[in-house]
Amino acid sequence: MLLFRSEEHVERWGRQWGLPRGVVLTPEQAWQLAEAWYGPDRRAPEWRRRTLEETEALFADLGLTGLFWNLRPSPSAA
Amino acid sequence: MSASASPDVDARMRAYVYDATLRRGTPPSVAELGGASGLPAEEVRASLARLVAGRVLVLQRESGEILMANPFSAVPTPFVVETPAHTAFGNCIWDALGIPAMLGQPGRIRTACGCCGEAMACEVTGGRVGRSAGVVHFAIPARRWWDDIVFT
Repeated sequence: MLLFRSEEHVERWGRQWGLPRGVVLTPEQAWQLAEAWYGPDRRAPEWRRRTLEETEALFADLGLTGLFWNLRPSPSAA
Repeated sequence: MSASASPDVDARMRAYVYDATLRRGTPPSVAELGGASGLPAEEVRASLARLVAGRVLVLQRESGEILMANPFSAVPTPFVVETPAHTAFGNCIWDALGIPAMLGQPGRIRTACGCCGEAMACEVTGGRVGRSAGVVHFAIPARRWWDDIVFT
């Protein structure tokens, strides 16, 4: 995950490296994702990785929906 | 399985890793973890391997030392994170934001545009990211992040 000056720079970078465009978030959206993802204290004995369902719920709470954020295998998915 | 190959050992190892990492900004070495845990290097490495299998850590392929204790990187990256506690490296822009999030502290991220290399910065203060130009690009769909976590 990289920071770019603009969506135009994302497009140019993709063309340079032959990579498809992924998903673009604002820095605020990325911060909200970072805060939700890394908030729980990993030093705590009870800490554990989120289940697939919990991760889906976290994404959904932040409005991160659609194929890109889908965690389940799909034969039709890219 | 040895007597020490238990979830408790791995939970303690994870706590040692993150305690040191949060305190100083860089993950500890296998030798340091041996000193902290009192376990021989062989058992430290076995526990780290289980944490890797559980997608908690990423190791350096040759040395077996920690590469990523997400969101922290053990090696220099283009994502420099300055906080009141220390200066650290994030694995990507998301992880760079994750460092002040994990610390609960303000932070300044210094990086560069992924396309043209122009210097860019993000400020986190008061639990919010400052208004800054730029966009964050996620190139790899979420379900494939762990296909090659170094390239996301």
